[in-house]
Amino acid sequence: MNEAVASRARPRTALWVAIAIGVAIALLVTVLATRDPASSRLVRSPLVGRTAPDMDAPTINDAGRFSLSDQRGKWLLVNFFATWCVPCQQEHDDLVRFAAAHTGAGDAAVVSVVFSDETSDVRKFFARRGGDWPVVADENGTYATAWGVARVPESYLVAPSGLVVGKITGGVKFAFLQAQLARFEAGR
Amino acid sequence: MNVNASLGTAAVAIGFAASAVGVVTLGVGLRRRQEKLLRLGRTYALVALVGVVASFVVMERALLGHDFSLEYVAEHGNRAVPTMYTFASLWGALEGSIILWTLILCAYTVAVTVRFRERVVDPLVAWATLTMLAVSTFFFALMLGPANPFQAVAGRIPLDGPGPNPLLQDHPLMAIHPPFLYLGYVGFTVPFAFCIAALVTGRVGEGWLATTRRWTLLSWGFLTVGIVLGAWWSYEVLGWGGFWAWDPVENASFLPWLTGTAYIHSVMVQERRGMLRVWNLSLLLATFSLTILGTFLTRSGVLDSVHSFTQSAIGAWLLSFFGLVVGVSLGLIAWRGDRLRSPGRVDSPVSREGAFLANNVLFAAFAFVVLLGTVFPLIYEALKGDPVTVGRPYFDRMTMPIGLALLFLMAVAPVLPWRKASHEVLRHRLLWPAWAGAAGLVLAVVVGARGLAPLVAFGLGGFAAGSACRQLVLAARAARRSGMSPFGAVVGRANGGMIVHLGVIIVAVAFTSATAFSHGDEVRLREGETATVAGHTVTYLGTEREETARKTTVKARLRLDGGQVFAPALNRYPNATQTIGTPSVDVGLRRDVYLTFVEAPKQPGGSVVIGVLVEPLVSWLWIGGLIMAIGTLLALVPGRRRLPTAPVSEQPVTGQVPDDELVTA
Amino acid sequence: MRKLAWAALGAVVAVALVIGVTDRSPATDEERAHRIGRTVMCPACSGETVTDSQAPVAVNIRRQISQRISAGESDDEIRDALATAYGERVILTPPKSGVAGLVWVLPVAALVAAAAGLVLAFRRWSHW
Repeated sequence: MNEAVASRARPRTALWVAIAIGVAIALLVTVLATRDPASSRLVRSPLVGRTAPDMDAPTINDAGRFSLSDQRGKWLLVNFFATWCVPCQQEHDDLVRFAAAHTGAGDAAVVSVVFSDETSDVRKFFARRGGDWPVVADENGTYATAWGVARVPESYLVAPSGLVVGKITGGVKFAFLQAQLARFEAGR
Repeated sequence: MNVNASLGTAAVAIGFAASAVGVVTLGVGLRRRQEKLLRLGRTYALVALVGVVASFVVMERALLGHDFSLEYVAEHGNRAVPTMYTFASLWGALEGSIILWTLILCAYTVAVTVRFRERVVDPLVAWATLTMLAVSTFFFALMLGPANPFQAVAGRIPLDGPGPNPLLQDHPLMAIHPPFLYLGYVGFTVPFAFCIAALVTGRVGEGWLATTRRWTLLSWGFLTVGIVLGAWWSYEVLGWGGFWAWDPVENASFLPWLTGTAYIHSVMVQERRGMLRVWNLSLLLATFSLTILGTFLTRSGVLDSVHSFTQSAIGAWLLSFFGLVVGVSLGLIAWRGDRLRSPGRVDSPVSREGAFLANNVLFAAFAFVVLLGTVFPLIYEALKGDPVTVGRPYFDRMTMPIGLALLFLMAVAPVLPWRKASHEVLRHRLLWPAWAGAAGLVLAVVVGARGLAPLVAFGLGGFAAGSACRQLVLAARAARRSGMSPFGAVVGRANGGMIVHLGVIIVAVAFTSATAFSHGDEVRLREGETATVAGHTVTYLGTEREETARKTTVKARLRLDGGQVFAPALNRYPNATQTIGTPSVDVGLRRDVYLTFVEAPKQPGGSVVIGVLVEPLVSWLWIGGLIMAIGTLLALVPGRRRLPTAPVSEQPVTGQVPDDELVTA
Repeated sequence: MRKLAWAALGAVVAVALVIGVTDRSPATDEERAHRIGRTVMCPACSGETVTDSQAPVAVNIRRQISQRISAGESDDEIRDALATAYGERVILTPPKSGVAGLVWVLPVAALVAAAAGLVLAFRRWSHW
């Protein structure tokens, strides 16, 4: 008697469970498919919207002493990097291009901060790959801590007013930087 | 003309062609019911195997011969690396590891066609072979497309390469961990293929499960060993004193293990009573899908991990394949699932069937938690744009209750009879195991363990161990009674299973102990100075510097407890400019003392910072893993021949423990 | 007789658990620092905790934690301070509220649903 009842009103459990799981997996796959594997992303940071932490240190590549407060009035890209990090090596050409594009107008500049690396290696790297902007050493990681640097490469875009407007992880691209600059300029 | 590149690519192309044509041939043969075409399945599988074996040989030839005209060799080879590690570097990075995967897959496919050669014209076998060839086609396509191992170097051919990632050198565990993992992952393709075949042909009630049972158990065994080896490698090499961080890559290998474990238990219900068919099909389909998802998460760079591999376009391919596999699986279940349920019913929740059903639910919940925790950061960031981290504390907290519940089931299920149990029976059978649990708890308290969760874990562990031992003792008595050798008490599925359970309990206890009760500190020492850290005295004797062509090593010589000298090191590899720490461990049964070299002296003769970590019972993790492996092998030995089982009847089986010793009231 | 054995068992287990749970010396500062560090991710590493990692920033954070413990801050206060400095992502446990809280709620909901499903299934199958 039970069997007869059971076979007449056959539960469609498998069907419903399959549909539910199917929907969930479809959403998951969509999310996974649209994830950008950590390259040139503008991310949130507690620093964004606040005044940039001060930086005043001698440079290691004979560019005199670097003081962040002196940079007010122009855009500044603060680039944390290391020579042993592959995306840093890859973004270097873009940094050179960006620096070159703005030296004439003087409206934007770059400063690099060494993250957990040897000064001699950094000097060799710059000698080989070019780049004449100030490079600051950070022996005790004070600057990295103050700026909340998670890993390299990470760059911060500082507005002429001294406010941090953006944090870029995963290596910068020239076109991306120019676009961001234009965007922030227009927004002001 | 690049000889290796051409030969290799040709071999892969042959493999691809053979698999693809095999799929089409079998498809046509099934549609038109032409036996001649179905018989060709084995031939195509063989040709595919020849192709992938040839590509393996060519790649090894290129690696061992330091042929830097191949991009793979140029990126991962190095003349100074010892031969064994150069051989193993084939599977040390993405493109080469696909060769290994495909090799194992084609070998399994040929094995299936040979094993089932008597039934080669059976549509079930033909569909299974077709599925396996289809999966092979995908992997061959990967090698022809985004993950081409035989890509030639563009531009100048380098004279030497950077060598494998420093973390992957210098440890034999790294050489054997991937092959074991792959033997496990790929092995699950076989039961997956039979699942698809069963669903397509509608023949889920037959013995296809029993015939593939050994394949599944063997694959599960390989996967278990692979995971334990990975944890061991993490412990020995990575230098943080831990072995399991719920890292996305670790989770990726753990997920199919969870569903696979649920399956090997649940399948016993299908064999004995023909029930839980759709559960079993779903678990196997899920296991295979999870291996593909896991490969995607590991290889695509989408998730941050200590084990991160390089990113490439392979992510899109793997994700699409995952989508396809899941789509086909869910589609088949939705279409056929309800019609294929068995007529049997679980009579009572307090029964062996009920316990296995609860087991399925718990393992499914476990897998859900691990999967959710792993992918949640991605989903959250997609929705909100903010990063969020789901780390060890989350996983530990969420999986602990499930783990404890599973320990409880492990204790109770082996004594539960089929169909229905009375409380009398349970109380009688569980008394001694319960006392074993109490003894375990008391022992832990006496030794000094504190904290509710670890103590409950130790108590339940004792409980479960008591139950497993009880089963083994009963099996020994039964063996003696029927005149078998005492060896008969430990072979066969039931007994081997109990030994595996003992291994699991040991691993669980060791995991709890090493995680909850590890303690230590860092200390700065001048040369000759002694300090007491975590109950052990450490004397810093000085540093030693070693320079070879491959690396520069600075070792800190330490005398531990006035006895042996240990030397944790900091290694610097020329092409990586990163210092990698190598720990030095005083291994013991009761505890390991884990020594790390944290900070090198800033000037010669200066002070150093040493890390000392005491981890109780951690060696039992590896011992437990070994016991699990031995138990699996014992379980694979054929026990006494079983009588064939009708779907809803139960059969007494000789040579094993009689389940219903007492009449159930 | 057997009932007595089970009762004795229950008593032994209860006593042992009570001792095991209550007889604990309060955590030393070091132990607290380790415990808190295990819930904070080293921002410069891929997934290692501050307690486990040797990166300079991790050493720095460990020092900060020790200082804050000496200053008398509670576990949660310390974690909040670190989250403000380095971002929410360094805290290894996702927040319990908001959308992120889903990651805590979903598994529990799933387990409850599964248990309910089992109960319903057993009801349907037998006159239980």
